[in-house]
Amino acid sequence: MERTPFDAACFPGGFEPEAQWEDLEAEPGVAVRYPVLDDRAWTELIENLRVSGEALKERPVRELVDSIGRAAERLLDPEDSLRGEALNWLVPTAGLSAEMADLVLTGMAKDWTSDRLTELLEREFRVPEVLDEFRVLDSGRKLHAVGSDLSFHVGAGTVPGVSVSSMIRSLLVKSAVLLKPGRGDVVLPVVFARALAQVDAGLGRAVAVVYWPGGRSPAEALALRESSVVVAYGGGESVAALRDRTPVTSRFLAYHHRVSVGLIGRDALSGANARQTASAAALAVSTFDQRGCVSPHVLYVEAGGSTTAKEWAGVLAEAMGELENAIPGGRLTPEEASLLHQSRGAAEMQEASGDEVAVHIGDRGSWTVIYQESSAFTLSCQNRVIYVKPVPDLDDVPQLLADVGPHLQTVALSGATDRRQYLATVLGRTGVTRVTSFEGAPWPPPWWHHDGASVFAGLVSWVDLEDE
Amino acid sequence: MDTVFQILSDELKAAFRGGVDEPWSDERFGDLAARVFEYQLDTNQVYANYCRKRGSMAAAYSDWESIPPVPTSGFKVVPLVSGDAASVERVFRTSGTTSGGVSRGEHHVPDLDLYRASLVPNLEKHLYGGDPLRLLALVPSPEEAPESSLSFMLGEALDMLSDGDGEFFVGANLGLDVGGLRVAIETACTEDQPVLLAGTAFALVHWLDATAETGLSFELPTGSRILETGGFKGRSRVLSRPEFYEALSTALGVPASRIVNEYGMTELLSQFYEPVLSDPPDPEDPAVGALDQRAHFAPPWMRTRVLDPVSLAPLPVGEEGLLCHYDLANLGSVMGVLTEDLGTLDAKGGLRVFGRVDGAEPRGCSLAMDDLLSGVV
Repeated sequence: MERTPFDAACFPGGFEPEAQWEDLEAEPGVAVRYPVLDDRAWTELIENLRVSGEALKERPVRELVDSIGRAAERLLDPEDSLRGEALNWLVPTAGLSAEMADLVLTGMAKDWTSDRLTELLEREFRVPEVLDEFRVLDSGRKLHAVGSDLSFHVGAGTVPGVSVSSMIRSLLVKSAVLLKPGRGDVVLPVVFARALAQVDAGLGRAVAVVYWPGGRSPAEALALRESSVVVAYGGGESVAALRDRTPVTSRFLAYHHRVSVGLIGRDALSGANARQTASAAALAVSTFDQRGCVSPHVLYVEAGGSTTAKEWAGVLAEAMGELENAIPGGRLTPEEASLLHQSRGAAEMQEASGDEVAVHIGDRGSWTVIYQESSAFTLSCQNRVIYVKPVPDLDDVPQLLADVGPHLQTVALSGATDRRQYLATVLGRTGVTRVTSFEGAPWPPPWWHHDGASVFAGLVSWVDLEDE
Repeated sequence: MDTVFQILSDELKAAFRGGVDEPWSDERFGDLAARVFEYQLDTNQVYANYCRKRGSMAAAYSDWESIPPVPTSGFKVVPLVSGDAASVERVFRTSGTTSGGVSRGEHHVPDLDLYRASLVPNLEKHLYGGDPLRLLALVPSPEEAPESSLSFMLGEALDMLSDGDGEFFVGANLGLDVGGLRVAIETACTEDQPVLLAGTAFALVHWLDATAETGLSFELPTGSRILETGGFKGRSRVLSRPEFYEALSTALGVPASRIVNEYGMTELLSQFYEPVLSDPPDPEDPAVGALDQRAHFAPPWMRTRVLDPVSLAPLPVGEEGLLCHYDLANLGSVMGVLTEDLGTLDAKGGLRVFGRVDGAEPRGCSLAMDDLLSGVV
């Protein structure tokens, strides 16, 4: 059955360009379509956004928080048709199961509410009104934080909603936003932009979401030239290509691909504890079908507990199976499926050759636990393929991660209660920027230091007003 | 080599000598496949363990399609030898980086004569057609690159089909001898000696680029032909196939109808060719010359299944899926190989390979395979 295509664009209120629309297949019978604008329409769009960005500067930040929060509430309300529409389209466009789409939308949108955003601003700026006017801050300094008139965001498309968080950060500093979402993340930014326009026309006029395929294009060149802040998510190559084309006078914020790991201390491996840790780890691995930068690829299990790493891999496999029943994995692209077969096959051949390898595969095949005695870091092909490796002591892990240092992000740590701070210190020196629990791993709070920096760093310019 | 191997190998060689013209019946292929599978289960412990975990032992054999294939990644992690490991004559390795834990695939070959028996009649049929051709090869010689299956193949072509008349123009360091090849082409033109110019697509592009700088172009003697294989692999600029063939035609005077693509891989000892020379399309056919109409064909001792990428269930004719090849020449390793290639098979057995990337943007926000492969890790 054919569905009407989803429009992968939301223009600012009042701007209605003439556009050709092109279809892209999301899954058989389901398409999204994107607009092809001519140069003149792009120029007008950017001019529109710039003017709306200037208008935002006149509005109190707390008013903006309130409006954004109301838009978020709509996406959290099970009765709201916008939430229904978002969930309905997330499944085919992001390749997630309905259950996972529900979990992801709820998990993401709860951090877009006014309470959470207020807390974010208060933690980051202490006095959020510093975004409205000069305020006297620490030791009597007079400061004002000013957002750019226009920011250009390029999403990765991996985890739905990440680009909405990025959009919100810019709106909070009163910057208009042109967002090009990644192909797997077209739905939430479009739906959120529409919600914003409905609750607050001024904010709606300051946001444009437009998908277009591929990289270099006249639109991209224009957007890079006209935006004083560029925020880029994606693979090394695509982020580097954007950086190379960004004017030196613009700020460039790079969120390149990252990997995360899990650590399980020997004190987390006793009977019931081992099962509890496994359940939490299974959820951390399976959330976003492991496509998040926060998703663990390898779980290092410390020796000396009452469950060995190899045994615990079996416990984890059970937990992965239970989770699969509750929140199934999503649809795989042919490329992803091929990678999965190759990963499993390589591990099964190792197992068959008598290496210390044990492969657990779910009945319906949507998860894979690979125990390997070799403790070298192994990159998972994602989609719920997790490596479990033994280490004599968690102290050994930083060295094992040395080679992936520039790509490291989150470490989920279970147990090692008495060594937590020490481990975080040594892990931090290898490049890890966040140490958390398995429960917390998929959901960093809004005020986290995203890849090690304040989320507003780069989005605002500080103006210092010194004494006469 | 053990006796059973010898008997099977001799029988296969004799069968291969029958040439690639006549298709084999399902029964003939199935019978040999059953015996090869049984031999591999008996003598390849790793593969036998792998099959046992899948519940596929000889007793469960119903037809060749039920034989468990090994993914190409399996060749990267374990030596896959059926028979006596000590009798391996040569180990061929896939190209690619060995850095960052990405290992190269290895194909252990106990009987190079069986490899020869497969590749020579196939090359003869699709490229030589009985003509005396001088081989100009844009790959390292087999002496310089003993681990390269492509070098081995063209070395055999030189010895057995070109009567030793030919040369290799790539060094062990992969440097292309641009001047040497130019001289060889000029000599062939002067002598009016038709050539087979054979090499990887990226080496040919390097040569085209180097030649373009000199402004020279050539008109290879009538009867000359080009064999290209392997794609660009990020080692040269990437051309579309029509652009590539047009550039070759312009620089060398060989029409696209005499340019043949080979689809092969280190993990398979038999190769696929486009039969554009051996079975030229009807010139009245309006589709003639359309490169996207071309298909590859296997010799009768290799068969392909097209599988659903997720479930690995067989797909109906014409549907796109993962390619899984069964090659009887792989007697000494494993016969069934699950590739990462997507393609279709038509009712006549014509294979169309669409490659490993469909142009879609990857979804993973965590570290991507290409970052790993590019040596970042």
